[in-house]
Amino acid sequence: MNLIIVAGTASVANLVTTAAQLDGETLAVVVGSRAVAERIATSGVDKVIWFGEPGDRPLEAFAPAVAQAATAARPQVVLGGRRPAERVLLGAAAAALRAPALIDVKEVTSQAGTVMVTHGVNGGIAVTTREFSGPVALMVDGGGVAPVQGAAPIEETPAATLPMQVTAVQVTAVTEVDLAAAPRVVGAGRGLRAREDLSIIEALAAALEAELACTRPLAEGLDWLPRDRYLGVSGQHIAPRLYVAVGVSGQLQHLAGVRSAETIVAINSDPKAPVLAEADYALVGDLYELVPAITAALEQP
Amino acid sequence: MKIVVAYKWAADPQEATVAADGQVDFSRAKSAVSDYDAVAITVARHLGDTHGADVVGLTVGGPEVATGLATKAALSRGLDALMVVADPALTAAGSTGTAQALATALAGVDDIAVLITGDSSVDVGAKLVPAVVGGLLGWPVLTEVTAVAIEPGALVVERAVSGGTEQLRIDGPAVLAVATDAATVKAPGMKDVLAAAKKPVQQLPADPVVADGTLRSTARLSGPARRGIQISTDDPAAAAAELVSALRADGVLIGGQQ
Ligand SMILES: Cc1cc2nc3c(=O)[nH]c(=O)nc-3n(C[C@H](O)[C@H](O)[C@H](O)COP(=O)(O)OP(=O)(O)OC[C@H]3O[C@@H](n4cnc5c(N)ncnc54)[C@H](O)[C@@H]3O)c2cc1C
Repeated sequence: MNLIIVAGTASVANLVTTAAQLDGETLAVVVGSRAVAERIATSGVDKVIWFGEPGDRPLEAFAPAVAQAATAARPQVVLGGRRPAERVLLGAAAAALRAPALIDVKEVTSQAGTVMVTHGVNGGIAVTTREFSGPVALMVDGGGVAPVQGAAPIEETPAATLPMQVTAVQVTAVTEVDLAAAPRVVGAGRGLRAREDLSIIEALAAALEAELACTRPLAEGLDWLPRDRYLGVSGQHIAPRLYVAVGVSGQLQHLAGVRSAETIVAINSDPKAPVLAEADYALVGDLYELVPAITAALEQP
Repeated sequence: MKIVVAYKWAADPQEATVAADGQVDFSRAKSAVSDYDAVAITVARHLGDTHGADVVGLTVGGPEVATGLATKAALSRGLDALMVVADPALTAAGSTGTAQALATALAGVDDIAVLITGDSSVDVGAKLVPAVVGGLLGWPVLTEVTAVAIEPGALVVERAVSGGTEQLRIDGPAVLAVATDAATVKAPGMKDVLAAAKKPVQQLPADPVVADGTLRSTARLSGPARRGIQISTDDPAAAAAELVSALRADGVLIGGQQ
């Protein structure tokens, strides 16, 4: 038996396909609305446990319910996604099972009671393969929504929840982006001197028909772009055909999110910037001169 | 009332070397209070000052986390006291093992209002330890926390969520992982460093923790090999033209083959 944890969104196709490759049935525990539970029931899993509508409780309040379900199911592998509530619930299951928890999972196989896991370590500078004889909790990129397949029974279980309550919500950004689906992405870094200068990066992105992304400091700290637009170990992971890093130093925490790009272009004024060594095309120079020139060259017929 | 802040003494993998067989060597990297844990300590200090509460640091790890260098570095950031669990067995502890050691240490402390942690550690970056600690203690866990206030019997918390912020009310103690920009970190001054030397450090024994399975192999990262082509930028327009034609030839521009 393997367990997948669903928290608020049915975008867990990768968890479902990863679980399907393992020994044993797949149980999905769903925290969130009935609609999410119903969508998960038709994604190819064998059984769904749903804890009822959350109401004003945050998804994290269901940690004891997830822990209880994990303890009862005695799974070999527990899979969860990378979003905040998914991490908290995966951690709760790991705690209940006293199971090791690993991130950046690249491959997992199971056979006759042993699980082999290959995963990136230290921000993805190397990979390690480990063998487990007991339960293990693994964090896997959720991916999109799985195609409709089968119809698993949904068991509604009343849940014991923690005493926490959402009392107010403020919406600031309205558009959510799916950077993972973009074929071309332009990433801006702190090489930009001012927020207004994002316009030259936006012009390049428009000419390339690329999505705009950034490094973490631009999204957290400077608040120039929303948090779901930063790339890296703790942000989005992308594998586009083209990634253009502009004024990005290329610390490994950032590169961990973009390494799977087919082609990387780096524009940086510091010839020693680490990003230049990780690029297919390296342009050492001032982004304020180079980016408008590239935009103009792209706009030429 | 106590505010406990968990932090990690760790080195930046940027300074580590990776051998041909994928072994990561941190021996020449310098450890420090992990970047985002300094944010957690700053948030905890503000909260302690507001409520007249003691701010106690807690760290677990290998023997090096108990050295004077390490404990003073943490104490000088504004902690009142420190609890340290240092044991060779914890050097290689993963997220669950680390969380077990933290939870065991916390179980012996009375009157904790809140456990504050950073967003993620600089060396592992799993963002999982707070979740496992909360699970082991049966405490609520929230991450991406941007503000905290303590009210009688409750915590009032604001956190960043996709597309906005949320306010929450939590009864009783909780584990809160603060956002990377929840506070601005100031470098400790000379006075802080001197005061740190006089603050109490309590060493706690380590209990056995779960291991991260059995290591079978290591390997270097295998990504697409990069071409490393330098485009001369003496003339920006010429550089731009050269880049665009190269990308067009690669087929990665609009209309390029899939
Ligand atoms: C635990 C942890 C997790 C992290 N996770 C992430 C993550 O997920 N994603 C992430 O991005 N970061 C992450 N970071 C932060 C990361 O380590 C770096 O600090 C960050 O990526 C650097 O952002 P930057 O490249 O924009 O800024 P900087 O490092 O300041 O680089 C700016 C670059 O711009 C160049 N530049 C300046 N002026 C110009 C000009 N006129 N023209 C051209 N180039 C110019 C400079 O040479 C420099 O290389 C994390 C850090 C920690 C500790």
